Amino acid sequence: MLVLGIGNPGRRDDGLGAAAAERLKKHRYRGVTCDANYQLNVEDALACAGHDVVVFVDAARGLRKPFTFTPVGAAGTMPAMSHALGPAAVLAVAAGLYGKRPEARLLAIRGHDFSLGEGLTRRAEGNLALALAFLEAFMKGVRS
Amino acid sequence: MGRKITIEPVTRVEGHGKVTIRLDDAGKVTQSRFHIVEFRGFERFVQGRPYWEAPVLVQRLCGICPVSHHLASAKAMDVVVGAGPGKLTATAEKMRRLMHYGQMLQSHALHFFHLASPDFLLGMDADPAIRNVIGIIALDKDLATRAVLLRKFGQEIILATAGKKIHGTGAVPGGINKNLSPEERDRFLKGPDPLTVDRMIEWSQAAIDLFKGYHGKNKDLVDGFAAFPSNHLSLVRKDGALDFYHGCLRAVDADGRKILNDVDYQDYLEHIGEETKTWSYMKFPYLRDLGKENGWYRVGPLARLNTCDYIPSPLAQKEFEAYKAYTDGKPNNMSLHTHWARLIELLHSAEVIKELLLDKDLQGTKLVKTGRRAPEGVGLVEAPRGTLFHHYRVNADDQITMANLIVSTTNNNEPMNRAVNWVAMNVLSEKTEITEGMLNRVEVAIRAYDPCLSCATHAVGRMPLEVTLVDARGRVIQRKVR
Repeated sequence: MLVLGIGNPGRRDDGLGAAAAERLKKHRYRGVTCDANYQLNVEDALACAGHDVVVFVDAARGLRKPFTFTPVGAAGTMPAMSHALGPAAVLAVAAGLYGKRPEARLLAIRGHDFSLGEGLTRRAEGNLALALAFLEAFMKGVRS
Repeated sequence: MGRKITIEPVTRVEGHGKVTIRLDDAGKVTQSRFHIVEFRGFERFVQGRPYWEAPVLVQRLCGICPVSHHLASAKAMDVVVGAGPGKLTATAEKMRRLMHYGQMLQSHALHFFHLASPDFLLGMDADPAIRNVIGIIALDKDLATRAVLLRKFGQEIILATAGKKIHGTGAVPGGINKNLSPEERDRFLKGPDPLTVDRMIEWSQAAIDLFKGYHGKNKDLVDGFAAFPSNHLSLVRKDGALDFYHGCLRAVDADGRKILNDVDYQDYLEHIGEETKTWSYMKFPYLRDLGKENGWYRVGPLARLNTCDYIPSPLAQKEFEAYKAYTDGKPNNMSLHTHWARLIELLHSAEVIKELLLDKDLQGTKLVKTGRRAPEGVGLVEAPRGTLFHHYRVNADDQITMANLIVSTTNNNEPMNRAVNWVAMNVLSEKTEITEGMLNRVEVAIRAYDPCLSCATHAVGRMPLEVTLVDARGRVIQRKVR
């Protein structure tokens, strides 16, 4: 299983994805690889192709709940002019290039402040704790 | 009935900009603008912070080219700690160069294969749903695989030199905080295959051949699309060689006459001005010698190959000679030739990476030097998108009191506006219907400059591409979002 955090920790709660990956990494769960980067790109398809289950973790704006956990399928749509890919596009690259279709989820955690600055807001920390508890239960189910 | 077309290219961390094309009642273009609609001051954010934090802090600007900001900031702070240009240890300078050329390799590969090649290989009129890397996979799986691995190789070089994927810490004021272990070096030299530097050189050459093949069959388009004369600016090495990490400022005009030559970039303010316009948050830099009206310039691959005299690596030099011969040695002012120039730089980056990997100085242990403290420093690098300026003042308490950044995309502000205007006048004007393909040509014109709007606007944006057609009275006639 791969947990892939996305975001820029220099933009306050945009660092939720990276924080989730870092905190999980410290537990050294068997069979779980944790990584994080500013954003997803084509080379992440390689990592996704090497795992059966992939969980993308990203900060989200406008959520009414602390987090959501939704399936992600491969899809080739991507924004114009962007250097980055979305989770669905990364999965599409993995499927197209390597013929791999890992079971994928997006853990979207509600962020409250995306301005320049260090550290998560208190409310984002609370959302992260709830999201991580959920994810750890999910991981336990996957590994058992 | 007059109309206005608005294109809003906005994505996760790349800022918030849009294109507005205003048409009169006859459908004739009366005005076009590429403008920025959001601004947050990064320069103010770093004020009051200790100077040694700057090389890490500046990576918050965006996730596209953090290495360029990291190095430009570190170079400025080298001056502050008395270890400015030429004073770093050999290990420190070469480790930084390796980091930077790794960044150039991954960025240029990403831009060409992911953003530009779909326009060429799938066509500017292709459905946007497939005019992307997914479409390239369907068309040519080997090519797409190379794109992924070139990018990955560059990213691995960055990780080995900067230490971390996010907020790398490799460059510090006065040097670097790690060297390259023999194990890391051997991995890049020997693999596992195909992730070797020799393979990257081979694939970079193949990418140039791909472009040249397309060019050979589509000369009118590639040569004529958004072509316009301009000045060009970049760093060049003291002897005129192409150098992405360090050099002097050189600017040439559209005919190759030198406007600036051998200028120490610590004095950039004497030569570069920045004009503000009410309709854009992005400034308009210009060469003071030529004034606001005529002093605008291009930066980036096209500009660099116009300002330098030669490329100091054999394979890229050979390609450079063919590239220069195409314009009889004169500056190249064809926007789409930026892709050709970018691929020659991709090859040069791969060659330099190999040269550096074979250099024993990378295993040296003298990493940091300091000297006499200075209150001010300027650091420049040639980022993938062009010249990047970082300028700081630091007080006696080691706090940053002033920061001024001119990023590559800002340097290319006027050229991007000119490119959009070319498309507006030559493709959109007086047409009865504005098609998806026509609008994509606006994107193609901007894309040649590979803009990164988060640096230019210092903003986080999250909007899709929006195209709006508005009449002279402000009524929306057509709106497209993607």
